[in-house]
Amino acid sequence: MIDLNINYQDPKPARISFEEWDDLFQRIPDALIEKFHYFPQNTEAWSKYLFPPQIFYIYGARHLRRLKFDNSLAALRLWGFINNESERLFRARQIGKKIIAVMGDLGPLAVLVHAFPDCVPFYPDCWWWTPFAMESTVLLDAAAQLGIGEATCYSRAALGAFAKHSYFPDPDLIFAATGASCDDYSGVESLVAKLTGNCIWVETPLRLPEERDALVNLLIEEYQRVIKALQELTGVQFTESMLHASISRTNQVRRLTANLRQLAYQQALLPALEMMLIEFGCLHCYSDINEWIEILKHLTATAEYRRQTNQPVLNPAALRLAWLTPPADPLLLTYVEDQDARLVATEYVINQALTLLDESQPALTAIALSHLNGSLNGAAHARAALLLSGAEANSAEGLIISGILGGSHCAMESRLIGDIVKASLKIPVLEFDVAPPHKEIDRQTRTRIDAFLELLRIRRCRKS
Amino acid sequence: MPEILNPRERFGLLVIDEPQDRVPIFPLLTSAAASLNDVSLRDYYTNGTIMAKCQLKAQDEFQTDFISIFSEVGIIAEALGSEYYYPENDLPVLNRPRWTDLEQAFKNQECLIAAVPEVPDQNFGRLGVYLKAIDYAYQAIADRVPILAYIPAPFTTAQQLIDPESLLVSLIDKPDMVKKFLSSVTNAVISFSRAVIRAGALPILVDPLASSSVLSPGQYQEFALPYEKQVINFWHRYDLDVVLHICGDTAGIINLIPETGADLVSIDRIDLNYALKTAGNRVRIIGNFDTTTLWLASPKEIESRVNEMVTRGKTCPRGYVCATGCEVPLPTPRENLAAFVRTGKIAGNYDFPLSTKRGNYANCRD
Repeated sequence: MIDLNINYQDPKPARISFEEWDDLFQRIPDALIEKFHYFPQNTEAWSKYLFPPQIFYIYGARHLRRLKFDNSLAALRLWGFINNESERLFRARQIGKKIIAVMGDLGPLAVLVHAFPDCVPFYPDCWWWTPFAMESTVLLDAAAQLGIGEATCYSRAALGAFAKHSYFPDPDLIFAATGASCDDYSGVESLVAKLTGNCIWVETPLRLPEERDALVNLLIEEYQRVIKALQELTGVQFTESMLHASISRTNQVRRLTANLRQLAYQQALLPALEMMLIEFGCLHCYSDINEWIEILKHLTATAEYRRQTNQPVLNPAALRLAWLTPPADPLLLTYVEDQDARLVATEYVINQALTLLDESQPALTAIALSHLNGSLNGAAHARAALLLSGAEANSAEGLIISGILGGSHCAMESRLIGDIVKASLKIPVLEFDVAPPHKEIDRQTRTRIDAFLELLRIRRCRKS
Repeated sequence: MPEILNPRERFGLLVIDEPQDRVPIFPLLTSAAASLNDVSLRDYYTNGTIMAKCQLKAQDEFQTDFISIFSEVGIIAEALGSEYYYPENDLPVLNRPRWTDLEQAFKNQECLIAAVPEVPDQNFGRLGVYLKAIDYAYQAIADRVPILAYIPAPFTTAQQLIDPESLLVSLIDKPDMVKKFLSSVTNAVISFSRAVIRAGALPILVDPLASSSVLSPGQYQEFALPYEKQVINFWHRYDLDVVLHICGDTAGIINLIPETGADLVSIDRIDLNYALKTAGNRVRIIGNFDTTTLWLASPKEIESRVNEMVTRGKTCPRGYVCATGCEVPLPTPRENLAAFVRTGKIAGNYDFPLSTKRGNYANCRD
């Protein structure tokens, strides 16, 4: 285990409830709570984050009572860190950092922002979780008032968050990537641009292998505009070495994440919910890359310890599932694990944030190439291929595709990818749209999941 | 015109030292929610669903910024054995404290307060009423409005467990024994609060019997403050933003109150300017409209006085909440309450959202 120099030992790995975490929290020594700070160079009381789900529940995250959590200290650290990101962004600005909203490309733009000192990138896109976490339509209603309603992906919550001025500080700069990406979110971005009046648009081209060099050049030109804007904002003269340093740190995050994916999906060492949070951490490191790296190391040490001591948190013999498109409602992941299934492969539309940046290339080329690995800027069969490799390697027995009602790429791609997976792996596929935020999974979806898992069990029995 | 922020968002900004659209409005609208809804008080404090429904209706009618789950300060003492009488249309009255004097509360030098479970259940006195009320209100509105649950502090609870006069005499002649007793009470208060926290309410510590109307500043420092601090430290482990309410006269102790660690201090009978000057750099101030005025004055007079109070309160460097000094009196006319809220909102308006070049809030951080 990671050496914290504090006497605390994780209990036997388990998924625990909201109340059980409160009981466990009583055992956490004060010294541990004092130990972890975001923006760790400061030790202000406000920058502590090792807190249990209860505090966030009190502040309205109603879903937390219904979820199950990994019972490790590292997982508590992960949850505490993620849940206070909103406050972290406000505090960042209070201590003089620049707040940069990057939207739409899910990964590459944040690498550029991280190259500049005291610039904190964040993806407003990620506020799409908030209506589910809070079981609330507050942000969706705010978006509707600005002209974007139920026919659009839940990512429209980001527009509501901009309008509210209370979920993150008004950014110093906003970069909005558009083109070959989620067209629903492009619609959201155009309304954000209208609302804020200061978006800088960044073109993201369709992936065409035969025109790779031209596309890389186009992206480099776009990124140079981004860099120019950041230079003007910060007064810092950009150098190639600044970007190489950022790439190096980003790759550290991605390597740690890749390793954790392997440990979790192959050996059942971390639950799906925590893994989803970890994967999404590759986007902008929850607004503090240095502390995020430390948390990933802590999680890795926890998973390694479990591997060495043969203590998986999930039943290794549970049904093995692949999952396509992030389930907007985290309760879905808790539910399938409660039914003795576990995830062994995922494709959450963020491949561009997971693949390593090529450090042998010029920096901007490396970022452009990583962008071209994107989940959404190529053909559906390429995205299917991303899922297939993991699903095949870890012997997935079924695929769940959680689509987003109104999300245009979901409607277009889901059936197509499902058919490819069925044909290639000969495994059943369940496809459904995630219902709007609510305190429980709607009965129809639950019944369909139950029936699907039953089918997989029967198939397994027959095979054996 | 609809407001930009809802109460939860507004309070969230306040506690992280960020500007809000206006000051939060917090008449301590507790049991008066029952009278406003023509519900008998006994039903209100013995039935959590009724308590929650009254609170939700009142919040909806007056558009205040908090839900207040509270009946009276005896709720923990009752669970520990004190007896209360429940009048039909008044708050519970202490019928017989658990012990007549401090000696009775000890046997072989051991305090007789029964060990309270780490997280007591709904059968712990009227905790079940609280939990039901919190749960009901939480499910209804917690994504938009903070739910506050008032927790009587150790010293106030002690005064409900032992004959108050006798306990006050013991402060002088048996101080060590009193402290030992207060330690046991503190454990009970913390356990009680854990149940409330789990239910989803932000606990607010109320210590009315520790005001300068009852204790000297020295006695406050010796017998109330350390135990308030213990409870607040426990809540800070959760990162809760702690409100401490001490009604009555606090002029003699306002300089000491920030030492409890409270993040927001709710004040009553004290000059607001003095409170701002003495504590406003260290804590956010909540207060402190005179409740008799709220009850008896005309709406016009209330408007004028609220305007004056909020104009001053808004200068608090750490942040300000427009509130009454104590609970809204039961017979307060609804038009008076409406005038309080309406004027507080207008007078408490801030320039929001500010441009990205904000005021120097960095000086105000914890």
